[in-house]
Amino acid sequence: MIRFENVSKTYKNGTSALKDITLDIDKGEFVFLVGASGSGKTTFLRLLLREELPDRGRILEAGRDIGDLPKWRVPYLRRNIGCVFQDFRLLPNKSVFENVAFALEVIGRPRSTVESQVPQILELVGLTDKSKNLPHELSGGEQQRVAIARAFVNRPLILLADEPTGNLDPTNSESIMALLERINRTGTTVVMATHDKGLVDRMRRRVVELDRGEMIRDQVRGVYGIDEVGVL
Amino acid sequence: MRVYFRYAFKETFSNLWRNRMMTVAAVLTVAVSLSLVGGALLLKQSAAQASFQWQQGTRVTVWMQPTASTGEISTIKTQLAIMPIVKDCVYFTQAQDFQEAKKLLPLPESSVLTVAEVPSSYQCIPTVPSDAFLVRSTLSNEPGIYEVTAPNKQIREMNKVIRVMQIIFLALAGVLFFSALVLILNTIRMAIFSRRREVSVMKLVGATNWFIRIPYITEGFIQGLLGAIVAIGAVTALHTWYPLPTQFKLSVGDLVGSNAVVLIMGAVIGSVGSAVAIRRFLDV
Repeated sequence: MIRFENVSKTYKNGTSALKDITLDIDKGEFVFLVGASGSGKTTFLRLLLREELPDRGRILEAGRDIGDLPKWRVPYLRRNIGCVFQDFRLLPNKSVFENVAFALEVIGRPRSTVESQVPQILELVGLTDKSKNLPHELSGGEQQRVAIARAFVNRPLILLADEPTGNLDPTNSESIMALLERINRTGTTVVMATHDKGLVDRMRRRVVELDRGEMIRDQVRGVYGIDEVGVL
Repeated sequence: MRVYFRYAFKETFSNLWRNRMMTVAAVLTVAVSLSLVGGALLLKQSAAQASFQWQQGTRVTVWMQPTASTGEISTIKTQLAIMPIVKDCVYFTQAQDFQEAKKLLPLPESSVLTVAEVPSSYQCIPTVPSDAFLVRSTLSNEPGIYEVTAPNKQIREMNKVIRVMQIIFLALAGVLFFSALVLILNTIRMAIFSRRREVSVMKLVGATNWFIRIPYITEGFIQGLLGAIVAIGAVTALHTWYPLPTQFKLSVGDLVGSNAVVLIMGAVIGSVGSAVAIRRFLDV
């Protein structure tokens, strides 16, 4: 589903964000991307979204080199990738329903699709009774669930999450994780960058660790810290 | 497509309403600037019209020698008649010119004047006002002619003044047009800046650039158009009620023409301004 071939990225200010990354992620996999701040996790996700282009190497998504994609095709690529962020990025003046519907409207889905899909996805994330509320009337966990609903309403092949639990308490983090797992079970590939040690250790999924742009670990049923591997 | 039109329509008007203070500011900015542009255009047209009317009054006077023979007088008459640059001539006899001179000259001089001393004359209208000096250079050395007078110098001076005025007005209109463009660009940029979050979310979920752009461009287009309409109202009202000398009054056709220019300018300012303003928010 996702393939990195010797990908390197250096920013204009000289910061080397990723160094020679080669990696395969299969369809339906759940991958944790761990590492300290500045290790290149966000760059990894930005490259997948084609917000950045690699300096060297190539990135394939669904068998296609996304570097070859003409600029005007990029929006169509993004329709196959859902995105969730630490800061939710909801539109403050739109209701929960409108926020989710927005994702379908901007890609030109007819109203009938919007009216059938949105309630369905809101039910999945458990926010049916809050559909008329504005984002600021919701808790952080609820807002993040709205963001996930928006990212998933279009049934993308890939879901990227950049520290989705970074702003949440443990209980809410749990429920967000449960939701992402559920989405993963529908066959969606999930790549999640995180600092949340507890979550990673509990989930026992594939862990890719980055350190100053280098991939120092790729473990199938991994935990957060390398030192703990020995303990197990 | 239909879905999109409804979306763009809804989005445009909800944007206009949500940012109504900004909308009012943009409309007024365009209105003020375009009023000045429109005013400058009208002044330019008025000046052209006035100069045209003044030139219509141009006369060339061919003064004969008081002693000129009947033969010489009739030779000049035929010469004038066959000159294509002369439209029409009227002959004034010595007696007629004497009456005219007596009216124009102060009493001490007119009392000593006799009919025999006064030259007879042809008062001619040139076909093209600016050709008056040609009549003069063709005829000056003919026998029996005392002098050919044409208001060459005055006309040329006047034309120069009017040309300079027109250039100044056009330059003024150009500067004002540009300032209106920059102002609306800035206004729309501020409007978009306040919604950059929305734009970034749109890009994130895979909206195409044109999808994002069109409601903003329509918004700018409408703002520009509204501004132009206000400006047209102001300029037309001024032109109608301000007590201008009649030479400066323009026909309805000219007024409609200049207003059409203002309307198009408003639409262009609005759409181009917003297209430029949104450009940098779309680059990722």
